[in-house]
This record gives sequence, C-alpha cells and structure tokens, in this order.
Amino acid sequence: MSPEAFVANIQQGFQDSANWIFQAIWVLAFVIIWIYGQRIQTTLMLKEVEGSLYRIKAMRDKGRQIAISTIREIGKPSEDPTPRVDRLLEHIDIEPVTLDPTGIIRRLEHIINVRDFRLKDEVRRMAPHADEVQLNNLTNVLETALALNQIYKIVRHYYLMGKKTLSFYIILQIQMLLPLIMRESEAFVNALKAFTLGQPIGDGAGALVAARLMYSKEKREISQDTVVSEVEIEGRKAYVIKAKGPGGNVGKPGEAIRQILEEKEGKVALIIIVDAAQKLEGERSGEVVEGVGVAIGGPGVDKYKVEEVATKYNVPLSAILIKEGIEDVISTMRKEIIDGVEEAIERIKRLIRENTREGDTVIIAGIGNTIGISQ
Amino acid sequence: MNRGEISMSNEGEGRRTPIIFTAIILTMLVMSLIALFLAVGTYLSHKTIDVINVILSVSAISLSIYLLIQMRRKRTLFQNSDNLRVITVIKCASCDYNSSREFEKGDYILREVGSCPKCSGTLLVYSIFRESQEGKKEKF
Repeated sequence: MSPEAFVANIQQGFQDSANWIFQAIWVLAFVIIWIYGQRIQTTLMLKEVEGSLYRIKAMRDKGRQIAISTIREIGKPSEDPTPRVDRLLEHIDIEPVTLDPTGIIRRLEHIINVRDFRLKDEVRRMAPHADEVQLNNLTNVLETALALNQIYKIVRHYYLMGKKTLSFYIILQIQMLLPLIMRESEAFVNALKAFTLGQPIGDGAGALVAARLMYSKEKREISQDTVVSEVEIEGRKAYVIKAKGPGGNVGKPGEAIRQILEEKEGKVALIIIVDAAQKLEGERSGEVVEGVGVAIGGPGVDKYKVEEVATKYNVPLSAILIKEGIEDVISTMRKEIIDGVEEAIERIKRLIRENTREGDTVIIAGIGNTIGISQ
Repeated sequence: MNRGEISMSNEGEGRRTPIIFTAIILTMLVMSLIALFLAVGTYLSHKTIDVINVILSVSAISLSIYLLIQMRRKRTLFQNSDNLRVITVIKCASCDYNSSREFEKGDYILREVGSCPKCSGTLLVYSIFRESQEGKKEKF
C-alpha cells in the first residue's frame, strides 16, 4: 500500500467515525429536546429573570446607598441613619377595605395623610439640620429607594417561587413583564439623581406652567403645601394653583380647587388642569394635547374632590396634557418638555379666550411634583 | 455639594460567566473546527465542496468567537442619565438678555441669581433641562 493510499484510508476512517458521532449527537439532541424541552425553556427563563434580578438588586443597593449618604451629608445626624433607612425601606401602606366602598376616598385620604406625615417625621428625625426644601427632597429620595426595594422583593419572590416549584407559568408571568419592570426601575434610578440635586423632573411640567403664570404675583397657601395666586389673563381673573416649591412635593390641588369653588359659590366659568401624561410609544415627548375631565393622577383623592365639586356647581372641566415617556416622568426634565410647557401656556390662553367672557373667573391648576420649581 | 459629587456610576464588576456556558461555547468551537476539517478532507479526496457543512461550521466558529468576546466585555448593570449634561438657562426679567451654563447645586426655576449686565434688572433661572440623547427615528 502506497503512503498516499494509507493516508486516504485513515482520512476515510476518521471521516466515517466523525459522521457517526455527529449523527449520534443529533439524535441525542432531538431526544433531549423532546423529553426535556419545557424544562430547558424554564431553566433559560429562570436564568433571564436571575440576570435581571441581579441588575435590580444593584439598583436597589444604589438607591439605599444614595439615600444614606444624602441624609448624612445634608442632615448631619448625630447617629448613624442606616438602621432607620433600612426600616423605612420596608415600610408598607395598607389600603382601606373595599368591601364597603362607602366613604372609601375619605378613608384613603386619611391613610395617605398619615403616611406622608410619618415619612416626613422620620426624615426630620434622621436629618435634623435639613431645611423644609431639603426635607421634601430627602423624602422623595427615600420614596424612590423604597420603590426600588419593593420592585426587587417582588421580582425575587417570583424568581424563588419559580425556582422552587419549577412551574413554567409562574416563571412566565414575571419573564413577560420584565422589560416593563426594568424600564421602570431604570427610571427610578435616574430619579435619584434629580431628587438628590433638586432638579426639576418631567412630572413637574404642570407645576412649571403654573409657576410661569404666577411669577411675581402675590401668593397665599390655600391648602397643605399648595399655593394660589390671582392673575389676570386675557381680561379674566384666574386663580392659579400649584404645589409649593422648590422642594419636592405635589401638594393638595384637589382640596385647593374645592376651597376656591366653595369660596366663589361656584361662580367660576372654567377649570383648566395641566398635567404631565404618559405618552404612548410613537408619540412625541413634550406633545401637548387637550381634553375634558380632571387630569390628576395618583391614588384618586384629588381627582374625586374636583369631580365632586365641579359637578355640584356645574363648572366645565378642561385638561391640558404634556406627553412624556415613563423614563422622563421622574428624571430630570428634558428640553422637549420645557418646549411643551411654553405651548401649554398658549393653549391655556386660547381656551380662556374661546370659552369664557371678559371679567369671568377661571381656575388653572398646574399638577405634579414641583421639585426644582419655585413660584 | 457640587454636580456629580454623589457618584452614581453604574459600572458593576459584571457577573462571573458560568463555567458550563463557557464549556458549551468551547465544545461548539471544537466541533465546528472538526466539521470544517472534514469538509476540507472531502474536498481534497472527492474534489467536491460540501457547501452546507462549510457554511454551518464557519457560522458556528463565528458565533463561538463572538460569544467569547462578549463574555470578556465588561457589562453595564443598568443605564442611567449620569453622563447627560444638565443646563440652566438664565434670563433677565426686564430685557431680552439670556445666558446658559451647567447646572449647579442649589439652582431651581425662578430663583433670582443676580442682576442683568445689560439693564441691571433681576436675573432669573428660567429653565433647567437635561440634554436629550438623539434616538433612532421611528418610521411610524
């Protein structure tokens, strides 16, 4: 046998063996996927959730660390604030019973008031040297850290439960929602910077509209953390309402509107409410849209109060919304939203001109967190 | 505290890559190299190109190399807007003078920040905003 034939023989033999190995691997892979397909998919999904959970944990830790360092820096506490912060991060609000819905708004409002008072009181104890504006901002930082902690714990719960039971459907639930959860968590992380430095956030678009309108006019506090100013716009008397800035708070706009309407015995030609609203994918940030109704988000207490009193006196309600993405709502305000604010002011003037007569009284409420926005 | 004093850097050390994942990639790389070698052998002995085998093995080699490079890259734990500039726009309440600068701690909208160099009127912080990231333009 010549050397060439010998090499060719070896090569042929090696090729045949390799072909057999590949065939065997294919058959084995087919059988494994056939029998353990769903198990493999479940494991892959668990791995994906685990990766996201790892990132959420990093965000949660960042939030906690920023909350503690900011309290130390601004509040100059005599003792270490870490145990108090850790206790606050586990804080839970229990919603009122809904079995008997009568008076639920009043009960919900009471719980919200108690919660706000307790949270601010805790922050005051932790940061005795902080002024009112810094206290409000610190409260916002803590609330953000608390939200990140809650998200982390919920995702961890589903992850561990899925791992324990290996139930495809438990894991599927959390895996499907992960993109939205991650987006929201990243928005909260970005909010930490804005709250720490006291920068205006996207949610404050409505408050900025009101601030522009009431600048240099006399103001009075009408309800808790809420100011009102009498302004002349297009020959009409306008009561402009916003939360008291520049600290981070949302005030009680519903109560303020109710009080003005009661004071004027319903003699108000129009109520205009300006707020930031979440845009749909594809819509432009800072886009301004108009509508009717009460544009106040949150748990619904303020919205209820305005609807109730406006219905009582039959006052028309107009809404001006400035659209923005979920990632813009609690992070530093974008240029497009500032442009939207200018457009919203023009829309308010047009609405007043078209829907009221000279000498009429109107109410304009700028809704949202007024952090970084004075009046 | 000045801008950026509180570090919000998000670069984590990155998760350790699981050994099993690395082993799978290396096995895929070795097997695809063998498949490529066999394709070359077929060509030398029969003078015919096993096109499917060549395409599959070259793709598998590329994929394994890509995955190995990705594994070595330092991962970012989460995106945040730390590195975006925040601008403070200052305007005069009486004339058309305006200027802008980087945000400084303590700035807030409608804060009085001195007097106008043109008319000695009150200078106000008119707006504070962050620079937008240019995103991909949507078709719809």
